[in-house]
Amino acid sequence: MSSLTRRNVLQLSAAGLATTVAGTSNLLAQDGVLKVGVVHQGPISDTGWEFFQARAWRAMEAAFPGKVKATVLDNVLQAQDAERVFRQLATQGHKLLMGTTFSQYATLRKLAPTLGVNCECCAGIETTTNLGVFEARSYEGTYLTGIAAGKMTKTNVLGWVGAFPVPQVIYNLNGFVLGARSVNPDVVCKVVWANSWSDPAKEKDAVNALVSQNADIVSGSPNTPVQGLAAEEKGIWAIGSTGDFSAYVKNKQLTSFELDWSAAYIEAARHTLAGDWKPTARWRGLGPDGFVKMTTQNPALPKEVLAMMSEKEQAIVAGKFHPFTGPIKDQSGKLRVAAGAPIADTDLRGIDWLVEGTQGSLPRG
Amino acid sequence: MSGVLISIVIATLVAGTPLVYAALGELVTEKSGVLNLGVEGMMLTGAIVGFITATATQSIWLGVLAAMLAGALLATLFAVIAITLVANQVAAGLALAVFGTGLSSLLGKGYTGTSLVLPPSPVAATVSQVAWVGQYLTQLHPLVYLSWLLFAAISYFLYRTKAGLVLRAVGESPASAHAIGYPVVRIRYLATMFGGAMAGVAGAYLATIYTAIWTEGMTAGRGWIALALVVFATWRPARVLLGAYLFGGVTTAQLFGQVAGIPVPPEVMSSLPFLATIIVLVLITRNRTLVRMNAPPALGQPFHANG
Repeated sequence: MSSLTRRNVLQLSAAGLATTVAGTSNLLAQDGVLKVGVVHQGPISDTGWEFFQARAWRAMEAAFPGKVKATVLDNVLQAQDAERVFRQLATQGHKLLMGTTFSQYATLRKLAPTLGVNCECCAGIETTTNLGVFEARSYEGTYLTGIAAGKMTKTNVLGWVGAFPVPQVIYNLNGFVLGARSVNPDVVCKVVWANSWSDPAKEKDAVNALVSQNADIVSGSPNTPVQGLAAEEKGIWAIGSTGDFSAYVKNKQLTSFELDWSAAYIEAARHTLAGDWKPTARWRGLGPDGFVKMTTQNPALPKEVLAMMSEKEQAIVAGKFHPFTGPIKDQSGKLRVAAGAPIADTDLRGIDWLVEGTQGSLPRG
Repeated sequence: MSGVLISIVIATLVAGTPLVYAALGELVTEKSGVLNLGVEGMMLTGAIVGFITATATQSIWLGVLAAMLAGALLATLFAVIAITLVANQVAAGLALAVFGTGLSSLLGKGYTGTSLVLPPSPVAATVSQVAWVGQYLTQLHPLVYLSWLLFAAISYFLYRTKAGLVLRAVGESPASAHAIGYPVVRIRYLATMFGGAMAGVAGAYLATIYTAIWTEGMTAGRGWIALALVVFATWRPARVLLGAYLFGGVTTAQLFGQVAGIPVPPEVMSSLPFLATIIVLVLITRNRTLVRMNAPPALGQPFHANG
């Protein structure tokens, strides 16, 4: 073992590194091709948030063949790394930068005025110089799935596995409960907070906990099929909000909707190509240009339930119906939305209360 | 009510099993004087290797075996750096943890979000026929029962066999053990590889049985928890078992508590497992002499064979 000493190993590796040809081949700027930089926080996979972002930029490339090329980085976990990556992309000739998640919003908000390129951030809050934002009215989708759940539940107990109690998740949950109660006023929904965007073991335990309390339909904001699989194991229904998991959950997925960001990416690319890009805030739900698309429906859903969902969907798309139309009371019975009028957008964005019929708490502060 | 209680007990056993495997393996490693901080990386690598193997061979046991090998391999890498090259064990362990995590992400590239669906086992079908307890017994995978066997085997090995005595001697004073003529380096290698193999089993259990799905970083810090458990349990196997089930139990109980409507903020609920485990184990280790008796004095110190 005398040759395998620490000194020898260090010398060898130093020599090895020195002789390695180090060189990053920078993307050469090609004339006429719009380079778009896309930064994912997590790994691109087959399901979940990153999958839909990936599908959207692929759709963008397909919509402008030969004219738009996406440079994609994934697994950029920390905001500081994201900042470095965005700067690098901007200096390498990318005229459009796409942020894919809320945690990149603060970074882009800081960088956009200084970089001199167009920036967009998914799940961002406010526009600023050079920064546009877009978000999905996913509560429209959860409202429709709520209708299905309200009609199909036999125990009148629904379950929701929430990741974090942030407004996006809260208004999805509220939409779900409102939809269910609109067809079945006796229904209640129990909420479990997993306190993690992605911890499959905890999500599975959460579903089991809900089942032990008689929930027979579970929903949530899953990024993986775990919740659906756990539900199937226990013989109850699962709802895929933010994704159609029927490839994995063969029988027990009741209904689902998915997020389709293609319109946002395509419009951003189109305006950048045409030179008339402006920072805009888009908050869209159902509809042909929207970001929420209903997907597969389980054959077990009876026709009248499908008809109800379809009718409400058309009303929402036509602007005739808003899922959060009053009177809406919160858990304590206080009236939060006046009768007849829909909730204001600003109230939705900062929502911190749960509607009547939800059992579970929100953390203080 | 009793149905919920049984659900909680079963969920506790299931949640605690990965910690039991990883912590018991790390216990043996640390008893020999090697501080292997790379448990998280070995768990994740074991998880993905086990997942890939189980998917390819449609057999969980082959997956577990492959995970053991993968964990042991990664541990061997750590052993080469920390024992043979006498590098700082803490730094090497941390590096292995990060390396193992990255390696698992690389290997798992095509498998993210996919799930493992296997046909039900005929053995389970027979066992579930047993009167009264059959339906509950089958809710626990054989690996859970094997973990209890592992605990018994490790306790017996460490405290009732000569080989275990030698291992503990190596951890206590490697210079003396070396002077007597025991192969200190080889013993530490074996102990480290065993620890890595157990961490691999823990990861495979998580990925193929507990959730039957692979996502990046799915151990969610359980490797670090296992490390802490070994220390808080003062290197005694029985306390490691207690700590693991306590942690797993409180984790699942807080989820049940949320559903049942107990009005405690969810973050407090989430931190309960850590708090409870710390409190209980600190209470157990009030006797400082007992702690000193059990902690391997040469833990983390590099061993130079020539003085």
